Parts: sequence; C-alpha cells; structure tokens
Amino acid sequence: MPRSTSRRRFLKTLGLNAAALPFLTNLPSLGFAGSTSRKKRFVVMFSPNGTVQKEFWPDRQGPDFDIKPILKPLEPYRDQMLVLNGVCDKVKGDGDSHMRGMACLLTGIELFPGNIQGGSHTPAGWSTGISLDQKLKNVFQASPETKTRFGSLEFGVMVPDRADTWTRMSYAGANKPVAPIDNPYEMFEKLYGQVQDRESLSSILDDVQSDLKKLRGTVSAEDRHLLDEQATFVREMELQLKAVPETETGHTIPEIEQGVREDNDNIPQISKMQIDLMVNSFVSDFSRVATLQYTNSVGQARMRWLGIEEGQHSLSHEGDDNKDAQEKLTKINTWYAEQLAYLVKRLSETPEPGGPGSLLDNTQIVWGNELGKGNSHTLNNIPFVLLGGGSDFKTGQALKFKNVPHNRLLLSLAHSFGHEVKTFGNPGFCGDGPLTGLT
Amino acid sequence: MPLFLTERSQFSMPHNLLAAWLHTFLFAAAGFALFEQRTTAADEYPGKPLYAKLCASCHGDDGQGTADNYPAALAGDRPLVDLARLITETMPEGESDVCTGEDAEAVAAYIYDSFYSPVAQARIQPPRIKLARLTNTQYRNAVADLIGLFRGGRTFDDKRGLQAEYFASGRYQKDKALDFKRVDTLIDFDFGEDVPAESKFEKKEEFSIRWQGSVIAPETGNYEFVIQTDNGFQFWLNHSQVPFIDGKVRSGNDAEYRQTIFMIGGRPYPLRLEFSKFNGKSGEIRLRWKAPHKIEEPIPERFLTPTRYAEVLTVETPFPPDDRSEGYTRGTSVSKEWDTATTSAAIEVATKVFDDLNRLSGSRPGKGDRSKKLRLFCERFVERALRHRLTDEHKQLYIDSQFQKTEDEETAVRRVVMLALKSPRFLYREIGGQNDTFNFASRLSFGLWDCPPDSQLWNGANGNSLDNRIKVSRHAARMVNDPRTKMKLREFFHYWLKLDHLTDISKDTEQFAGFDRALLSDLRTSLELTIDDFVSQEKPDLRQLLLSNEIFLSGRLGQFYGADIPNDVKFQKIAFEPEARSGILSHPFLMSGFAYHNVSSPIHRGVFLSRSILGRSLKPPATAITPVPSKLHPDLTTRQRVALQTDHLVCRSCHEMINPLGYALENFDAAGRFRKKEKNRDIDASGSYLQQSGELAKFSGAKELGEFLANSDEVHLAFVEQLFQHVVKQPIQAYGSGQKEKLRDLFVSSEFNVNVLLAEIATVSAFDHPPADAPSVETAAK
Repeated sequence: MPRSTSRRRFLKTLGLNAAALPFLTNLPSLGFAGSTSRKKRFVVMFSPNGTVQKEFWPDRQGPDFDIKPILKPLEPYRDQMLVLNGVCDKVKGDGDSHMRGMACLLTGIELFPGNIQGGSHTPAGWSTGISLDQKLKNVFQASPETKTRFGSLEFGVMVPDRADTWTRMSYAGANKPVAPIDNPYEMFEKLYGQVQDRESLSSILDDVQSDLKKLRGTVSAEDRHLLDEQATFVREMELQLKAVPETETGHTIPEIEQGVREDNDNIPQISKMQIDLMVNSFVSDFSRVATLQYTNSVGQARMRWLGIEEGQHSLSHEGDDNKDAQEKLTKINTWYAEQLAYLVKRLSETPEPGGPGSLLDNTQIVWGNELGKGNSHTLNNIPFVLLGGGSDFKTGQALKFKNVPHNRLLLSLAHSFGHEVKTFGNPGFCGDGPLTGLT
Repeated sequence: MPLFLTERSQFSMPHNLLAAWLHTFLFAAAGFALFEQRTTAADEYPGKPLYAKLCASCHGDDGQGTADNYPAALAGDRPLVDLARLITETMPEGESDVCTGEDAEAVAAYIYDSFYSPVAQARIQPPRIKLARLTNTQYRNAVADLIGLFRGGRTFDDKRGLQAEYFASGRYQKDKALDFKRVDTLIDFDFGEDVPAESKFEKKEEFSIRWQGSVIAPETGNYEFVIQTDNGFQFWLNHSQVPFIDGKVRSGNDAEYRQTIFMIGGRPYPLRLEFSKFNGKSGEIRLRWKAPHKIEEPIPERFLTPTRYAEVLTVETPFPPDDRSEGYTRGTSVSKEWDTATTSAAIEVATKVFDDLNRLSGSRPGKGDRSKKLRLFCERFVERALRHRLTDEHKQLYIDSQFQKTEDEETAVRRVVMLALKSPRFLYREIGGQNDTFNFASRLSFGLWDCPPDSQLWNGANGNSLDNRIKVSRHAARMVNDPRTKMKLREFFHYWLKLDHLTDISKDTEQFAGFDRALLSDLRTSLELTIDDFVSQEKPDLRQLLLSNEIFLSGRLGQFYGADIPNDVKFQKIAFEPEARSGILSHPFLMSGFAYHNVSSPIHRGVFLSRSILGRSLKPPATAITPVPSKLHPDLTTRQRVALQTDHLVCRSCHEMINPLGYALENFDAAGRFRKKEKNRDIDASGSYLQQSGELAKFSGAKELGEFLANSDEVHLAFVEQLFQHVVKQPIQAYGSGQKEKLRDLFVSSEFNVNVLLAEIATVSAFDHPPADAPSVETAAK
C-alpha cells in the first residue's frame, strides 16, 4: 500500500539498504543517465469534473483551428498543441463514472469489484491494470540509457488525504495504486533531501573531529586506539564527501517559498511550486515521467481567488441552463489551462541540458479529465489536449475523431516512446491500433 | 572417505554447517583456556640471558621500554617467525650481525612468550575495564528513549489484550453509535452474516469495530503483520496518521494483507485497527503476525496491551554484529562498517526528527515561539544524548555553532541531532570513566536495561539521590523490577541457553512424525514462557529453573509428548513426567536442539552443560572429526558409539568431562521424549563430573544431574560471572579480585535470588568502578 509521508523516503532510499552511505558520499544516483541521446519525457496533467464543452472544443478542425475561452491561456503555444475531440473512455464494469473515469484514464482497463460505493453503479476497488505513466517508467528504468534516479514523480495539488478510487489515477500494476505527493515540501525533501544531508554531514564532521581530539587526552593509552580509529574513519568520510566532483552536486537546489500550508486557498501557490519542482527535476534528470494531479475525481476545489465560493464538483452538477454555474465552470477550467500554460512556459524557456532546443521540445504533455462533462457524467469526449514535442506528433492542429476508445490514444503515446505494444489496457478497445492522424 | 560422504544426509544439519556451529560454540571460551596453559617458566628460555645481555638496556628488563632509548613497550601481534627475522635483520640497532639465526630465534621465543604476544600481554596485564561503545541494542534503545522523552512516556502495566469498541454502524468515524466496549484478547473473528453476539441491536448487518492498544515485540527483529478479512479495514502501527496497512478499499479477491516492520525487543508499539462491515456475507477479521523464529499465528494475548504507548523511533539502519568472542556482547572494538552505520543512522534519525519536529518541539513554523522551542528541544536532546549536564563549551560546539552556521533553523536542528548522534560522548558508554553521578546513572541504566538513564536517574544525577553507595543501590533495587530489566534478564537466559544457535531444528520425519514447524514453534514458546515466568517472579530462585518439574505445554505439544491435556489448550503450566524431568535441563526444546535429526547427542548436551551451566572453558577439537554415523554401528547405543568416537587420546582431555555430563540426559531422545530403552537396551544414564576440588560427582538421569548442578558451587560462580558480564559487558576480574566470590556469597545467602544478585551487580559496576587510568602526562599532551 502506498503512503505518502516523507518519513518513508528514508526507508525506501537508505534505511533498509546496507550500502546506504555510498549513496550519499558518491552520488552517481543524482542522475544515472549519462547518455547523449535525446531525453524524451512524458507528463500527464489531470483536472477533474469534466469541462464546459462549448467553451472548450474548437469549431474548426485542422491547423487552422480556433481557440475557445478555456484554451485561451495556451494560445501562445498553439504550434505545439493538439486538441483531440471524440476520444472516449469506453471502459465499463464496476464503479461509478467518476471512479472509472479516474482509474481507467491511464490504465484503459476495468476496475476490480470492491467495497467503494459511488453515487451510482456497483461498488468497485482499484484498477486491474498498470497505468501508462507507470508502464513508461518501467520501460525507461529497464534501460541504462534512460534510467533515472526516480523513474517517475507523482505530483499532486490538494489531493484529499485518503486512498480510494477517486484519488488515484496512477497504478504500478493491478491493485497497486500510486499515491501522488501533494505537499511541495515533501516533494522537495524527496528530491533534494540527500543533498541536504550531505551538506549537513560535511558541516558536522569537523565538529566531531574537534571533540574527538579533545577527548583523546582524557582516556588511557590502551583505550586511545579506539578513538583514533574512529577519527580515521571520520576523516575518510570527510575526504569522500569532498571527492564528489562539483558537477555532481552542482544541481542547484531550487529556492521554494517557505511556510505555504496545505490549504484550499493556497492552491495557486502550491500549483506553482509543484510545477517549478517538476521542471527542476527534469533539468537534473531525476525522472522522465511525471504526473500532476489537481485535487481528485469529484474534486471540490473552491476557487475563491477567482471569486468562486462553491466547490467545483457541486457546480459541475448544475444544468447547462444555469448560466452562472457555466460561467464559473468556464473560469475554473480556464484556470487549469493557465496552470498548464505556466508549465509549458517554464519548459519552453528552459534549454534542454546537453542538447538542442528546450525541455518542451522533448516533453509530451497530456491534459486529461475523468469526465467529458460534469452534469451528465459522460465518459465521452474527454477533453484531451496534448502539448510539446516529446512524441513527435503533428502538432498545431485540432482533430475530430468519431467516438474512438481512449485506449487508442494510450497506444499512440506508448508507441511514440518506443513501446510498440499491440494493446494497452483492455484489448477489446485496441482493435484499430494507435489513433490515425497524430503522426 | 566415501562412506562419510554418503552418511552426511544422516544429520539434521549439513555436516559443514554443524562443524561451523560446533566451532563457534566451542571457540568462544578458547581465549582464556589458551593463556592459562602457557606457563613455561621464563627461566627455561635459552633466549633469556641473550635478551638481558643484548636488548634489555634499551627495551627494559621485561620489555617495558626505557625512557631514554626506546620508550614504547615491546608488545604486538607479529608472528614469532616474523619477530625472529626482524631481530636477525635489525637488532641490536647498528649491530645487526650480533644476534642472528638461532640466537635471534631464541630471543624471539623468549620475548614472544614472556611479554610480546597478545596472550602474554593478557597474562601480564589482568583484565581491565575497556572503553566501550554502545552495543547495537544499547544504541537503538538510546535513540528510542531520547525521542521518547519528547513523546511522553507511560509506565508499563500488566494489562493484556486490546481495547475494543463496537459500533452499530459501518461508519463509526462519523457517528457515535457506540454499541459496547470490551477487551479482546485475540483478534481472530468470524462474525459471519451476523452482528457480534453481544450487540444490543438486533438484525443489523452493518457494524464496525475499533481496536486500540499496543503490541509488544518480544525480541528485536522483523515482524510480518498479516490481516485477513473480506471487509474494509485500516491498520495503524507506530504512526497515528499514516496507516501501516490500508485496506479501506476492498478490491478484487484480496483478502490478505501483509507488511513487515522492524521492531525493538521489549518495547510496546501503539496500534489501531479499524474494521467495518456493511452488508457482505462474511465478517472475518484476523490480526496475525510472524515473529522471529515463530510460525505465523494470531498475535498472542501476552503481546497485546490495551494501553496506548507512545510511538517508538526505531533505527532501521543495519549495524554490523557486536563482538561476542568472549561469550557476551560488548562494544570494545570499532570498525569502518560500524562507523558508517552510525552515520547512516544519524541521518535516519535526523530525518525522522525533522518529519515530526512540530510535535517533538511543541511548536509550529511561523509561530512566535518557534525559535525558542527549537532551541529548547536541542538543548534537552543534546544533554540527554551526551548523558551529562552541558558545559558552556559543549553548548557552544553542539548547539550554538550549528545555529550560527545556517540561517535555516530546521536545518540547524537536523545538524544538532546528527552531531549529537555522531559524538563520541554519545557513542561511547563513558569516556574517561570519572566517578560522577551522571556516570553512576548511566552505568545503572545501561547495566540493567541496556537503555540510557530514565528521568528518575537523570534527576537523581542532577540532584543528590545518587551521591553515595546506598543511594545508588536504592535506584538499582527500584530498577530491577522494571520490565526493561526483565527484558535484559530474559535475553541473558536466551544467551545462556544458546537459543540463538537453536534456530533451525528438524527431525527425521518417520521417526518423529508430527515434529513439524508448528511443533517447533510451540516448543520454543514453551521454553520462552518458562523463562518469562521465571524472570517475572518476585524472588526468582535459580535452583528452581534447574529443578522444577513443571513445564508449559500446548495441546499440540501435549499430544506429541504424551501429556494429559486437551488438544485445544494454548499453553498451560503442568507437572509433566516429574520423576524424570528436571527444569530447563530436560526441556524438550533444548533436548531437541542439542541432538541430531535422528539420534540424541550426548556431546552437544555435554558441551552445553560444561560451557553454559558449569562455565568451563573448552578448546576446539584438536582435529576436526566427523561424527561416527549411527548406521556404521547399528548395534551400538548412542552412548557406546560416542564413547568409541572420542576414544582417541587427543579427544579425551575434553570429552572425559563432556561425555559423562551428556550421558546423564540419555533418557531423552532426539526430540526430547522420555525413553527407557534405546535399540531394546536399557538406557544407561549414569554420568559424572570431576569437580575442580578434585572430587568426582556421580549422578544418574536428569533429576540427579539437576540436584548436583543446582547445588554446585561451580555452577553458582559460573552463573554470577556470566550474568555479571552480560549485564556490565566488561570482565568481572576488572572489578577487583574476589569480586566474583563476594557476589556468589550474596547470591547464596539470598537463596539464589537472581534479582538480588542483579541489583548488587548493578551497584558494584556503577559505584565500585575502579578509578580510570590516569593518562600519562606525555600522552595527554599529545
């Protein structure tokens, strides 16, 4: 069972590992991947409760597509953008639409029967299969060329502190949900804790030596050897720490805003912090797969900073004729697009380390949702927007498909990362292979 | 030779393993035996006059060195041949051709045996109290207690089971439909489709239960917790917020959840289990574990308590094993691996402290008193870690300078924690060995508990309740009744009875049908219960342990050993074969352990009795000898075969002691079942022991053996010495000649009350600590 407190970092990386210190003193682990070939990355951003369709979908398809209000923040990047209409989550079975929408979004396969009872349908458990992000992580980690320290990073923004089918979209396998880390400080600790430990260690060893020296004189000659031996070990460790070349420790630790509490009203700051950390982790090549999950399926963010008091999910149930709700939902979804735009901006402004172009040129972002539309709970027409050049898709266009299963999109993405499988998720939805027109 | 190879499968352990096992077992005492033997008179060395003539002017008459020429003592670990070569090539200085060849060899032999070799040094210099680092157990306890200071302690109580609250609703968290409360001894339920029988509500399918309390780890190690249920649940262990196993989401056919945790022996870990049933057909819930050396089972009642103790900060960094070469764990050596482990552990603890800093410091970021509270935390942490009141100098080095070096206070706290845990003042038991009240406190607490001083001791050291011997002994008397002492005593008995060696026992499946892993697990539990029962007595009388005719049996054991108890009984203390059995000496677990997989082993049993109970030193066998397989001599009894095998001259010197001790237990077969015959011949259980007084003691069977041992002065002295060394982790001889006998006298006059002996050992080691060797002026100046 995944859990998310940072105290576990130690267990995973150091505590149960007899060879703990080499990790600290000789940090090749800060980026194993030393290859010069192109570093391709995969990012999924999730926002909940469907969208406002008429404010989202372009009227015109093709390269000359128009941009509706919700996608306006992304206008500067229209050349790197692909809007995909008509892609539907066809997975049926146990669980309500919010559950299936969430847990099948990246897995494309049914849920287990279980005890989580939604608003309708039968109760369900976790996904029965692996999600695409985790699959690609495994593919990357299997090869020394593409292996990174973390393999994947799961970011969250105000994800409720409970593990259930509505809060988990990443799965390491059947029944293996992966918890996103929604506390930026915890993520910071995960990314940079070791570098900090190293600095702290270097800083205290001098003091240990000075006290050892003082104590040396207070023990008998026979006992002194013990302290001398320890002093030697400490000196050796100091030398080891110094021997780590600057280039390996040189990953700059980003400055992050201090004292931001996990609180609904801090969502904008948390969002920015998480995006900054993600971009930084790419620069250091800590990971080539990342997810960014805003709240959860059925999420109830109250976007007071937009002047909206109601929770998003409650609003999403209002009928199409409720103009006020529609306007608010449009604002909310536009805000999500702004977050995406910030991510895209950061990536586009950051040169690819050791290669030509920007990070954005080598990163494939998918923005998805568990529903097409909130009030109908439809899983059709999931608002999929693709951004960046990681998959080498033909960007700068809007495409309209005819009711195609989203498994085919997952296949397209898998193939674009060299993982050329015939099916992904439920094979029954993969019959026609990857989507046409993307490449 | 081929014969031996084919015979290997005969034994319950692979031959090489067995040999290795015997070896470690026997080698433990070799050190002392060796130098006791080497008594060649110095006068007999032809090299002695040569040394006096050529070497003594620089090296001193006894190799002690001379201030003017060569101040260092001649002592080291070069092999003899090397020493001779060195003399030939280099000595005397400037005239190296004066002493060569046979002369050099003669001088080397004299030097080596008289004062140079480690053995000679040990003979010349009687054992002394050595500077020692914390043992691994002490280290883990020290960290747990340090953090425990800030989490609030609770005195141990004897309540057992878990507090259970039953709710008449599947969502107990949200409503207050408390149905009833009780203490559940075992979490092993199947409610079927019904509600619990005691429910006040009728015909309600939906209910939930919350169990709370703590689980006590009987020993340090990995524990696998297992939850079996078809319903939703969450299980918290040693962390109040993050579930250890989260089974709230039932998914697919998962009905069993497992997770392993490392726990420190003797400590209670807080737990909470919440279970809810809505409308399923099944209402099963079981809380099980797999403890070290045991099979998976429902967690027994004696390891559950309804009291919720504070979370335990458990250092998970692995440490290299402690030295046990002299029969007890001690920290008198350091290694690179150990130093590395202490660094990893310091980082681990600093990380965990950081994660819980708000609670530990009682403050929140951004609050006005944050800085002050963090400082206070650091001061308390450091002084308790270093186990002395802080001097201004220490405060500057350990705390102030850390806050000066970084602007970020939380980073400073991390560094303070790391520095304190890397400090020699924390890592070593005591440096310099001054007789101050703080060292009295530490010696008492590490002695009796393997833990740092508790608050009572700390306050005593700060005040005036530890400043004379009577006050020190009062603390010792209080501490002896603490569960931590019981834990340490229990651990002693585990060492004493070699339980750590007896981990993989198996028996011939035809001859001993039913001797399976479950039975073995029960057997071990039975012996552990005997020990627990013993140490929990107010006046534990050592003789009782050797003489008692009672034993703890489970239904399963009863069936196998033919005792008259119901099959479904968990464990019950009953008199069992009282005419034949004698306390732990004939306990079936030990009898099975000190045996082969198909036949008994008088040698293993004899070695155990010699080493542990009688405290005799044994040299390793002169040559490795493969045991004579029973098949080779189908007509011989085990006794006859062993006699034949050890008949060789080189074997006899030890086996003349070992075998006749082991023969006295021949009434117990390889599984510890009582028998009167072997191969249709009457068992000959007569044995003997040549006492150090020169008198030959004779006995037959376990009962007479027990009587002899329980009343043997050698046994009492051996027990005193071994317990002392287990407690103090220093040789008893270092505490003055005659100390062992003084303690033995007290032990005898107290009717062999182990608690009285323990308290006195603690007092002696704390207060009668010989003054530290004053460092010489010359070395101190360095």
